[in-house]
Amino acid sequence: MARKDLLDIASLHREEIEFLLDQSTSFKKLFTHSVKKIPALEGKSVLMLFYEASTRTHSSFEVAAKRLSAEVTNFDVAHSSITKGESVRETIETLQAMRTDYIVVRHSHSGLPGMIARQTTASVINAGDGAHEHPTQALLDAFTIKEKFPDPRGKKVLIIGDILHSRVARSTSTLLQKLGVEVAYLGPGSLVPKYVPATIPRFTNYEAAMAWAPDVVYLLRVQLERQDVQFFPNVREYHRVYGITTARLAEIRDRGLYIMHPGPVNRGVELCDAVMDYERSLITNQVENGISIRMAVLDWLTPGGEFPRQESYAAPQRASSTVIMP
Amino acid sequence: MLLLQNARIAAENSPELVESDVLIVEGIIQQIGTSLAIPEGARVIDARGRVLMPGMFDAHVHFRAPGFENKETITTGSEAAINGGITGVVMMPNTRPALDSATAIATVLDNARHRARIPVYTSGCVTKNREGKELAEIEGMHRLGVIMLTDDGDTTADPAVLLRAMQYATEFGMFFASHCEVPELAGPRALNEGVMSYRLGIKGSPACAEEIIIDRDIRLARAAGAHVHIQHVSSKLGMETIRWWKSRGDVKVTAEVAPHHLMFTDEHIGDYDTNYKMNPPLRTQADCDALLEGLKEGVFDLIATDHAPHTPFEKAQDFISAPNGITGLDTALVSLHHFFVEPGKFGWDLVVKRYSAEPRRLMGLPVPTIEVGQQAECVLFDTEAETTFTKEFMKSKSQNTPFINQTLKGRVDLVILGTEILLER
Ligand SMILES: [Zn+2]
Repeated sequence: MARKDLLDIASLHREEIEFLLDQSTSFKKLFTHSVKKIPALEGKSVLMLFYEASTRTHSSFEVAAKRLSAEVTNFDVAHSSITKGESVRETIETLQAMRTDYIVVRHSHSGLPGMIARQTTASVINAGDGAHEHPTQALLDAFTIKEKFPDPRGKKVLIIGDILHSRVARSTSTLLQKLGVEVAYLGPGSLVPKYVPATIPRFTNYEAAMAWAPDVVYLLRVQLERQDVQFFPNVREYHRVYGITTARLAEIRDRGLYIMHPGPVNRGVELCDAVMDYERSLITNQVENGISIRMAVLDWLTPGGEFPRQESYAAPQRASSTVIMP
Repeated sequence: MLLLQNARIAAENSPELVESDVLIVEGIIQQIGTSLAIPEGARVIDARGRVLMPGMFDAHVHFRAPGFENKETITTGSEAAINGGITGVVMMPNTRPALDSATAIATVLDNARHRARIPVYTSGCVTKNREGKELAEIEGMHRLGVIMLTDDGDTTADPAVLLRAMQYATEFGMFFASHCEVPELAGPRALNEGVMSYRLGIKGSPACAEEIIIDRDIRLARAAGAHVHIQHVSSKLGMETIRWWKSRGDVKVTAEVAPHHLMFTDEHIGDYDTNYKMNPPLRTQADCDALLEGLKEGVFDLIATDHAPHTPFEKAQDFISAPNGITGLDTALVSLHHFFVEPGKFGWDLVVKRYSAEPRRLMGLPVPTIEVGQQAECVLFDTEAETTFTKEFMKSKSQNTPFINQTLKGRVDLVILGTEILLER
């Protein structure tokens, strides 16, 4: 069951997911009992390669790696203004020479961590690639939900917001569905595409979505910076139509629903301020659980293994998918 | 002297192959018939079972020179054509500098004469440096033989500019080849908008981006009395738009379809395989089916590869960074056989008509046939053999094709142009 990389949720088997969630439980227990460090990754190096700024995910991985006694290095990409694929290729060669054991990568280009993984013996962990996947976020979300619903099968999670650009929506819903959780999407018509998987109900009206009777309401961060053309008129209107307003929070409290958000929250946009004090908000649980999940992932992956020597740039180019004979 | 015995001869207007001997003397087809006597000194090739057809002609290729000789040159590009049974091509003008002046055209045509073993023609830009603003040196290019104008790679975005160009150039007997996409809708990613773009998490280009410009450019051509040729149609509604305009009959419109748009869908991209990244992008099975229907019906006048070489370095980047385009000359004829002729979806007559005769008619060139008195310009094709498209097999400088290391049914055995045997396998 050894895997070199964690690139996506789509290719994870159910047993692997269960294993990671169980491991995360053990790590979480261990560290609530005053243990500071375990030697699991002693002598190993973890390289943080973040082409997109992210305090939260970055520090969560860093804490996780250090608790496993790994040595953490930050690859300074902030100062090289070019973050195009071409320069990434050069970076990969540098990384390969550095003989790092794990690479945690975040990049705005979907599929880029997979490209790195094919060209290095290091274990590559996708910490978010474009609008593609964010597997550790999905795992920590599932873990957080399982803490409240030990058997989550048949539970319902409503994901609200910018589904189109959200890697969290993709990874988390894929993972929840693998665990038997029902998922639905709600958001502006321009941000919830009609071609989302058919297994996921698509709502553009808040009342209709609530009538679906969710157990968890999961708000996505509104990514104003990703919108090349406006997807909705303004944040005030967004909040009124799709946000958790004070009035909606009262209804959510009455129904006893949990609220989640991958952070950082745009207050007054996705959520009103009062949500911060809502007793069934799981937002801080998500942050906390991020560390144990990432420990479980680092501990689980196996660097090295088969890796073709890179003779030329042509070498890592895989053969294309087999052409089907008619 | 060359005697091909028992070849099965393909022609654009004959659905059946006709078995015959063909005698070529000094580059001219001198005799066709059964059991021809072997003249003294003639070389005899037993062509039994193999198909003899006129050389193909590709009206849409990117040979990258000048400016991008690391991807392709006129020599390597034309050798790739010969390798695939193609004996004439039209280059696109998106080089660096772009082919937008008489000087640039003269240089490239001079290169073509010296560095290619087949006729290599070129189109010219509609606008200077393909920027869509100022008109290129249209009459100057025409004087050197250019008749096709295109800003291929991009749409001439401003309809007023294109309309003017059409009004101007039509007077010289030139025509326009349109790469169709609304830039604001299409974006830079070359991926169909839909289930696959959602799964891959990359902004997709909707088919309507293509449909709108197909319609726009035909309307502009109608207004200007111009001839517009629609390049590499990728969508069902794009095909239907052309069909509708053709049925009206009040505008001169021709169109082409690329082999990859007939064969592959966006699903083939799989795990971000950049060998399936091209613009316009691969769409859905429904689009493939409609394009095939359009080809059989004659909505598409011709097949053209949009041969677009890029270096392994460029294509080994991530999907978003990798450039658009795949090569096609080495593989086109064999892949058309493999996917369509062999399974009986269309016959050799269609291949000859759409990939040999019509593209030459578009360019105002004589059409080669396998008939007595004609210059020998033909290809001998083995339908039973296979071709494995290894890096070594390919003559293009680049190998960015979905067929890399794949084995397909069919093989180009012999390419003859006049007195020369350009290829013998
Ligand atoms: Zn084009």
